[in-house]
Amino acid sequence: MRLKKMSVLIVLTVLAAGFSAFAQTTTPPPQTFGTTVYFDYTTFVTTDGYLTSNSLTNKFHFRRAYFTYENKISDSLKFRFRFDADNTANITSVDFTNKKTKFDDKLRPFMKHLYLEWSNDFLQSKVNVGMIETLAFKLAEDRWGYRSVAKTLLDGYKDITGVEVDATSADIGVSWKGTLLRQLRFGLAVHNGSAYSHAETDKFKKFSGYLQFVPAAGLNIVGYLDYEKQTDSKKAVTTKVDVLFDMISNLNVSFEWFSYKNETYLNADLKQYKPSGWSIFGTYKIVPDKLALFARYDSYEPNNTKADDEIGLIIAGFDWTPMQATWKLQPNVWIYKYNDARKGDVVLNMTLFMSF
Amino acid sequence: MNEKIIRWLVLLGLALAVIFTPILLSAQTKMLQVKGSDTMVNLAQILAEEFMAKNPKMPVAVLGGGSGTGITALINGTCDIANSSRDWKAKELDLAFEKGVKPRLFAVAIDGLSIIVNERNPLAQLTMEQVGAIYRGEVKNWKGVGGAEMKISLYGRQSNSGTYTFLMEHVMGNKPYSTDMKEMNGNAQIIEGVLADEAAIGYVGVGYVVDKATGKSLKGLKILTINKTAGATAYSPLDKQAVDTGNYPISRPLWMATNGTPKAVAAALIRFIIGAEGQKIIEREGFYTVGANLQEQNQKNLK
Repeated sequence: MRLKKMSVLIVLTVLAAGFSAFAQTTTPPPQTFGTTVYFDYTTFVTTDGYLTSNSLTNKFHFRRAYFTYENKISDSLKFRFRFDADNTANITSVDFTNKKTKFDDKLRPFMKHLYLEWSNDFLQSKVNVGMIETLAFKLAEDRWGYRSVAKTLLDGYKDITGVEVDATSADIGVSWKGTLLRQLRFGLAVHNGSAYSHAETDKFKKFSGYLQFVPAAGLNIVGYLDYEKQTDSKKAVTTKVDVLFDMISNLNVSFEWFSYKNETYLNADLKQYKPSGWSIFGTYKIVPDKLALFARYDSYEPNNTKADDEIGLIIAGFDWTPMQATWKLQPNVWIYKYNDARKGDVVLNMTLFMSF
Repeated sequence: MNEKIIRWLVLLGLALAVIFTPILLSAQTKMLQVKGSDTMVNLAQILAEEFMAKNPKMPVAVLGGGSGTGITALINGTCDIANSSRDWKAKELDLAFEKGVKPRLFAVAIDGLSIIVNERNPLAQLTMEQVGAIYRGEVKNWKGVGGAEMKISLYGRQSNSGTYTFLMEHVMGNKPYSTDMKEMNGNAQIIEGVLADEAAIGYVGVGYVVDKATGKSLKGLKILTINKTAGATAYSPLDKQAVDTGNYPISRPLWMATNGTPKAVAAALIRFIIGAEGQKIIEREGFYTVGANLQEQNQKNLK
């Protein structure tokens, strides 16, 4: 334990020294403000599942609203501050004693990113410090490219199944990404493990890393692992593999699989269980910058000890830029297939993507 | 599936048909997208216009934004040709490899990067080292390089510009620009700044500072001669032979890149540009034609 604390301290000290050395070599700061909004009109054609089992049959909603400030302090230093708001952003307080959050019914912004990024020539690396993007699904998200329509499998797992898999897109900590060879890249991070809208609640830190192998142009195989102690004697581990295929012009096809094991997860019979899932998704640019198609199939296994809880989800739609790239229409359909007595669900979305 | 679902799917299908039909029809006359270097944007537009005059069924759209922007667009599949006034960086080549993009580079012209001052500035020449020291902010007064007692006003480009990177790598020893430098959006803005500011220094592509009628520098500007080291002969970027032989020390190829072997309109455009007709236009616009070695490489990359 002392060794881990020491290593975190050493990393932070080295980074601080690096930042102070590079902070002196500045150019005037090009500062930018940006807004990105995912706005939806959603119709629940049927309402049988976890997300759809409510009295709503249709709604207008903001899936996401980002407000981002970026400051390019120098050629090697960048600062980002991002506020985020969505339909779940109505937390008003956290009760640490009882480990509960209290809600009200208003949408509120919360801090998503607050980090300094230092780029340097050593292994073409980037070091991020602060409230950073985690390493778990950035590469898959980049390939999928339609967060406005749906998060990728692991990122959106809780939304679909209701099972908490402790995966977050941002957290407070430090990350280091770089290139060992053109065919081999890596990422390492240490962060709280409490996610971006929460303060740290325990003494344990999450350690994560990935290795990205690029055996041929356009073929990426990525192995990811994260580890965090939940108590002094129990741990949680996420294992993930992505295969990204970009070998045909304008077409990308990707595969994602993950498994999550948390030793504090117990069934009523006190047996351990593991949530897992896999996803295959693709996008095809029919007319670059104008029109693209996207489609995806997800398979969710929320509990490997239960036989009838699997969920299949098809998402498909198209991305149309009628005039300027600042706004796009992305009509899409979600078709759920449940493995139990529930019927399949169908949800239609008219997504309006705006970025200014 | 119940009736409600079928009804919705039929409606969705109709909506898709209504939206897709005009898009697919317009896709048949897709424009070739060329994007990138601001140094090259005017030249590329002129070349595209001349190309389209001869090939009216091959539309080409040219946009600037900087070399970095063009390279990123090619990697992301949002343009067909990326213009750049610098070499591709290792991290860009790595990203291209990761995303399955196989860049083919064509040298289409040679630029003598020109160091310009206001014509009222009495100075006529600088060494490479002096240019570097000025842009690093180590020399802040013209007196420090043999000029008048006057604080130097620095004009340069933004960091997504290939010219910004080229000067930093080839003249400034990879050290950062002075924090006093005014970062302008393009070559034209730098020229405007230098014309209005007696103490100014700027850097632009040679095609921007040549008066097409006279072959000399634009009125109100002075193009400095540059020597490699103190005491060596200084050369002007207007001296074609000096640029060709490398005696003018800050010359560079201007590149067009495609993803893989260029096909159809992209191949036709590149053949036109590197051919006799295109090279003549390049010379007319104040840039220089590509030498035999680079042309040989171009021909290999076309196959």
